[in-house]
Amino acid sequence: MKIKINRYLKKILVLFFLLIPNNLNADFFEDITNQIVDNPKRLSYGVSVTDVNQDGNFDFVVTGFGYPNLALSYKDGKLINIVNQKKFTDKFRRTIGVAACDIDKDGYEEIYFLNTDTYSGTKKYSDRLIDLEKDEYVDLFEIEKNQRDLNLTAGRSVVCVDRKGDGNYGVYVANYGGPTRFYEYTDDIILDKSVQLNLAKITGGRAVVAGHIISDKVDVFAANERGANFLYKNDDGKFLDVANEYRVQDILQNGRGTALTDIYYRGRLDILNGNWGGFHRAYALKDNIFVDIAKPPFDEPSRIRTVISADLDNDGYDEVFLNNIGEPNKLFRILENGLIKQIPLDIGLEPDGYGTGAAVADIDNDGVLELLVSHGESIDQPLSMFKAKVNPKSNFLRIKPLNKYGAPARGATVTLISNLRKHSKTIDSGSGYLCQMEPVAHYGIRKKENNIKIEIKWTNGKTKIVSVKKLNQTITLKQK
Amino acid sequence: MNFSKSFLKFLIIFILTLFFFNTSNSVEKNYYKDLITDWSRIFPDSNRNAAGPKFFKYIIDKDIDYEDFIEYNKLYCAVSGSLIDPNSDPDFLFISERGTKNKICGNYYKCCIPCSCDIMKYSEVERMKYKFKDGFKEFFVFTIKNPCTKKDFPDRVNKGYFCDGDKINNEQVYELDGRIVIGLFHDGKMCAKDEIDFVKSHQITGRFCELRNNTPIENLNAGMGDIFIKLAR
Repeated sequence: MKIKINRYLKKILVLFFLLIPNNLNADFFEDITNQIVDNPKRLSYGVSVTDVNQDGNFDFVVTGFGYPNLALSYKDGKLINIVNQKKFTDKFRRTIGVAACDIDKDGYEEIYFLNTDTYSGTKKYSDRLIDLEKDEYVDLFEIEKNQRDLNLTAGRSVVCVDRKGDGNYGVYVANYGGPTRFYEYTDDIILDKSVQLNLAKITGGRAVVAGHIISDKVDVFAANERGANFLYKNDDGKFLDVANEYRVQDILQNGRGTALTDIYYRGRLDILNGNWGGFHRAYALKDNIFVDIAKPPFDEPSRIRTVISADLDNDGYDEVFLNNIGEPNKLFRILENGLIKQIPLDIGLEPDGYGTGAAVADIDNDGVLELLVSHGESIDQPLSMFKAKVNPKSNFLRIKPLNKYGAPARGATVTLISNLRKHSKTIDSGSGYLCQMEPVAHYGIRKKENNIKIEIKWTNGKTKIVSVKKLNQTITLKQK
Repeated sequence: MNFSKSFLKFLIIFILTLFFFNTSNSVEKNYYKDLITDWSRIFPDSNRNAAGPKFFKYIIDKDIDYEDFIEYNKLYCAVSGSLIDPNSDPDFLFISERGTKNKICGNYYKCCIPCSCDIMKYSEVERMKYKFKDGFKEFFVFTIKNPCTKKDFPDRVNKGYFCDGDKINNEQVYELDGRIVIGLFHDGKMCAKDEIDFVKSHQITGRFCELRNNTPIENLNAGMGDIFIKLAR
């Protein structure tokens, strides 16, 4: 009899170990917040990744709302703020949105800081466009000739757009309660061209992304609040709103964080969009219509802010990080056939976190992405930083496209082609919510993956294929 | 010993049930999300004033079974065209059946209280048969008379949604016996006497509706319902 009972107990144990591990996964992340030197409580918002001091390495730029903007650079295992100049730190202007791109075609990125001292409508202080000139950070909007079209409307996110595909970046400014702006350097003057480009619509602008969404040039998707979303198709450098035709207006929902990702690993960019207290969307293009394929638990309403899609653990599948404010964060993995599966979180869950922004970058150049999360709005909290626990045998490949001026080719699309997938990633122009990721396509390599090639589609739509002979490196592609 | 055996069997079945329950939850239908997602398709000009008929047409044109049809029709207000929160409670009321004048009792999902009064006064119900994926079903629907010949067609309603000239626009709304179907009357059946008494004595469908339905139209000030009245009277 004892033997029989033991047999049953064994069976139960086997079942237990088969079924339960789904809920007892080891932590996905490790907390590396301690790498941030001098990390006080503060009100932070958007985060961008750019080479702030032009030393060839990317840095995190973290905005401050009544607190200084930071430039966190990686040195000797630590993240240290490297800029204290007032034009940059700008404690009093209340910065929330940030994006960097090479506006003046000198090969280095300028930083657009969107300031907001009011919720909606007219604001007191304009935005800043920071350029590094001989070790000094200057605001290009303070130069008299550039002051004709200052942005004095409350706004949220900004995104860089190389609308003609010639390396001449403009900045789309998603304003709130006033017209959208589009700043571009023309004849040595910064002008707002939103009216000429059909972009000067008034809405509750929230999040914005740009890239090869529906055309071979750079298109723009803007997720709005209290109004329809915009999907601007690039029409020879001007824009045409086709949100209705492509069914992404989502008029009853309030947009927040958005990102471009290749949901089906089929070599094209689709749209993830988090709606505030509403259904989160995974828009996949099918027959010229974006179909929302999101299902629970991914689509479940939350207090969403930033949305990030990136391969955090180098397994060859992209994760989606949903950063919530005053509510636990969520993490998902995009598997084959559009299946978006939740990954349990403990570290990185931040149940009491007031997330306001986040960005990814391989800031320490070890081939694994770091995730920096900012907090604030109504509660001052320090920054936090996480890194996935990666299989030591995993491989990666990083593609860093530079345009003909030598600047990051934001808005270009990189596609990894192999025996297992055709996986596109955008070189981030601005995404999440108020944020911008590193201008690198980061790929983990799947098991049994071979015959790897890389296709680059530049912002002018031209493509080139490069074969890959060695993994675990960053390949820099230069546009000719 | 038998007890131990039974207990162990129970435990195994319990664990397996838990496991499969957890994995099957994720495929549940979300009717509300569908309507939110397709709202711009249903109302391309964003005007949903009194446009319950647009929802009804959109839903019945879907390739769905009867249960889906029922669930979708709980999520909009036939009077105002407004979406209704999932799991909202309906009002139990009666409506006169077209032709027979019988009182038909059933459940009406409304966005706000005055709509219950308006639908009782300005609509009639009719039996409708329709073939769904799972076969023919019969049910009651709310209908209003053809408003397209009205000289005072309410300007806050998109006439193109309802009318093709003086005729009902069958591409946009569902026509039944020359009338426009504005929504589904849930659980409709001939009223029993105690049900009529219940409706008449209810604080909303009784006293409040008596007050509202005896107020001259020019004195009404209850928003969306007033627009519907101008359309349906």
